Amino acid sequence: MNRTWVTMGTVASLTAPGSIPDAVAERVEDVCARIDERFSLYRGDSELARIASGAARLEDSGSELRQAYADALLWRERTDGAFTPHRPDGVIDLSGIVKALAMAQAGDVLDAAGIRGWMLGIGGDLVWASDVAKPILGIVDPFDRGRLLTTLKPVPGRRALATSGSAERGEHIWSRADLPRTPYLQVSVAADDIVTADVLATAIVAGGVPTCDLVCDRWDVDVLTIDRHGELTATRGMRTATGRLAV
Amino acid sequence: MRTRAILGSALAAFGLLAIGWEIGAAAGAGPATTATTSSGGTTDSGSSSPPTTSGSGSGSGTASGGSSTTATTPTTTDGTYTGGVARTRFGDVQVQVTISGGQISDVTALHLTDAESRSVQISNRAAPILRQEVLDAQSTNVQMVGGATYTSDGYLSSLQSALDQAGWPS
Amino acid sequence: MSATIPQLAAPPVKRIPASLDVDRTRRLRRRRLASDLLVIAFWASGAVAASLYLASGGMADWTSLGGVITGLGILAGLIGSDFVLVMLVLAARVPALDATIGHDRAMALHRRLGKPALYLLLGHGLLLLVGYALTAQLDLVSQFVQLWELPDMPLAFLSIALFVAVVVTSLVAVRRRFPYEFWYVIHLLSYVAVLTALPHQLSVGSVLADGTVQRGYWIGLYLVAGATILVFRVLEPLIQSARHGMRVERIEWIAPDVASLHLSGRRLDRLGARGGQYFFWRFWSARTWWHAHPISLSAEPTRSRARVTVRVLGAGTGRVTSVAPGTRVTFSGPFGLFTDAARTSPRLAVVAAGIGVTPVRALLESGDLAPGEATILLRGSTDDALFLADEVRDLALRRGAHFYLSTGPRGRSGGWLSQSDRNRGVTLRSAFPDLASSDLYICGPQDWTDAVLLEAHAAGVPDDRIHVERFDW
Repeated sequence: MNRTWVTMGTVASLTAPGSIPDAVAERVEDVCARIDERFSLYRGDSELARIASGAARLEDSGSELRQAYADALLWRERTDGAFTPHRPDGVIDLSGIVKALAMAQAGDVLDAAGIRGWMLGIGGDLVWASDVAKPILGIVDPFDRGRLLTTLKPVPGRRALATSGSAERGEHIWSRADLPRTPYLQVSVAADDIVTADVLATAIVAGGVPTCDLVCDRWDVDVLTIDRHGELTATRGMRTATGRLAV
Repeated sequence: MRTRAILGSALAAFGLLAIGWEIGAAAGAGPATTATTSSGGTTDSGSSSPPTTSGSGSGSGTASGGSSTTATTPTTTDGTYTGGVARTRFGDVQVQVTISGGQISDVTALHLTDAESRSVQISNRAAPILRQEVLDAQSTNVQMVGGATYTSDGYLSSLQSALDQAGWPS
Repeated sequence: MSATIPQLAAPPVKRIPASLDVDRTRRLRRRRLASDLLVIAFWASGAVAASLYLASGGMADWTSLGGVITGLGILAGLIGSDFVLVMLVLAARVPALDATIGHDRAMALHRRLGKPALYLLLGHGLLLLVGYALTAQLDLVSQFVQLWELPDMPLAFLSIALFVAVVVTSLVAVRRRFPYEFWYVIHLLSYVAVLTALPHQLSVGSVLADGTVQRGYWIGLYLVAGATILVFRVLEPLIQSARHGMRVERIEWIAPDVASLHLSGRRLDRLGARGGQYFFWRFWSARTWWHAHPISLSAEPTRSRARVTVRVLGAGTGRVTSVAPGTRVTFSGPFGLFTDAARTSPRLAVVAAGIGVTPVRALLESGDLAPGEATILLRGSTDDALFLADEVRDLALRRGAHFYLSTGPRGRSGGWLSQSDRNRGVTLRSAFPDLASSDLYICGPQDWTDAVLLEAHAAGVPDDRIHVERFDW
């Protein structure tokens, strides 16, 4: 069964081998909607937008926002600043993390409801249930969005595939000003959870080659990068997943 | 008796040290460049320039010159080269590079020590791969498609949309 | 009843057939060659350990200060570990080692290697910490943390701590303050120290990396050392003891502080001991099972009887002399070069004091001596201290050996003879007129032995003709 709906400025797509009860689907949509209400900077009335405009103070914000902000700061430390929730003008922009937070929460809702084998994609990021036996995923070719760059059978244990790009509108990736301009056009990261995958994919796009090396050293993730000239790099795990590397 | 022991020990020690030294010096100078086979693969330098099929030696690579994330070796002879062993306290790392059409077309990190987990970490970096490699890996049974974010307008013409409309095989 | 020790030279005595001479000389030469080869093998093993590093191209790193320090640290670790393995083998009671250099010399070497080995291992740790910190440009604390987080490194730190404990407690100054049992238990930890060091040697660093020849050699070295210890310290005693089934039959006190333990068993005539040798005995009672004592046979064993004589010098020997009859006995040995086989000269000069008389008695009993070939001098500060003296005198009589006693207090000026004998002008040369063509056997307490040695060296007796039995380890 498949459900799609518009949320967070993009489209969400939920599939499962069996049926998805309406009540469950509604709860998932609620999760996304609530996150959007609170964190979107495109809606003047969201909590984050009001803080950005100065109408509200960060100290008075709800715990969920402050927790998300704290998490984002932690990720900034871990990626040596390649991922940062701060725009150059000082505004807090949590868009790099909230979509993943929403997807993680949605996943929890689906698991709690006992939906088996579910797969959820929002705006190009994918997360799936742990009982999906052999997920087969595709990654869009950024040079020709009608084609697949590759298909992917993630190694066991992976539950999320996040893809960040620097060519698409709708997503701003802020990076440290002192890092060289990133060569990457699109970065896909497969990880055991969606927040890690999403943050790291964003970080690598922002930070370029040094951040890619740092991520590969510090985290157990699979990385696939494509640069403006179409050159690809991939970690060993990613080569296994694309099926060409015999292990 | 003691003199014999002293002399014998000194001789044996010096001899063994010398042998060790020689072996060490020889190993260091050795397999820095061993060309094995010429790879005849295609180098696709991105869809911005027309795809070129290059056998070994036709030297067409121009477009992807500067953006490669690995250091290009000064040689332009095609083949597979094994670099010198980089010694680290976590183990030895050696890199094997394949040159095709004057470009690096494949890089492999060779593990020499697997027992030490830190050495595996260092060899876990993202290394260049051939576009052809991933293109060939296509399958028609894709369940979901990931990609950079698209707006809701762009979604309708997206691959994911096509999948969604095709329904889910139960 | 004994003759007065002469102050002047004694008349010459008939010589022994030449063939015996040649036989002995040949044996001595063989033993010397084996001893030299052992020394060469020891230094060679250290050189091989260093060569492992050289052969893996380590010198290529000696281009920066950090690289040099790291290289020195690796060398220190390799050589230090090699020394430790040598120490273990020296203490393993290997018969071949005993036949070549004597077990007591092996133990003296073991003790001598202790501090250098520890310094090398400590140097290994410190040099690598500093070297790595320099090359990685970290401060020492961060570098330490990074090392600690590598797998197997916490074990390695435990290992070095154990080594420090073992060596420190073995320093004479420290050892004296604690009971023997305490020292013994700590010393056993050296096996644990060696084992906990092995994992990091095989997993960290590149000299002993997977697939290298160096790794194979290193593991082989450990296996050989381990097998040696297992065979000679565990299996051989067990097998031998099972074969002979010894038990304590009765204990006979022949002096207030000296007891003879009569042992019963099977085929004891096949123990293989030559007169003057000793065994390590383990008496299986609740308080004595954990420690094996080195004691000489004090009589030639018969098929079913053997005898050892023990002087009570401390708690351990006290417990041994109070075991119940019927106590099982396991043993390993025989050890010791204090035997007829070590002789190379036509004449035999024997000087013994106190408990040192036991190997002498056994030596006399088993060796074949021509009349007049041997001269025995027993020393005791009182008549009581001369236990077994009567037996030795009888033996000397039967063998036609000269026998002298030197009894009485030492006097203020020290020395190895009694005051009265010294005043009379008795010296080593006057007691043993053929000293120049004699093998000199000395056995007794440490200080007294040293005094005899002093005079022997002054009299020009060559080192390889002096045979000393020490019981102080």
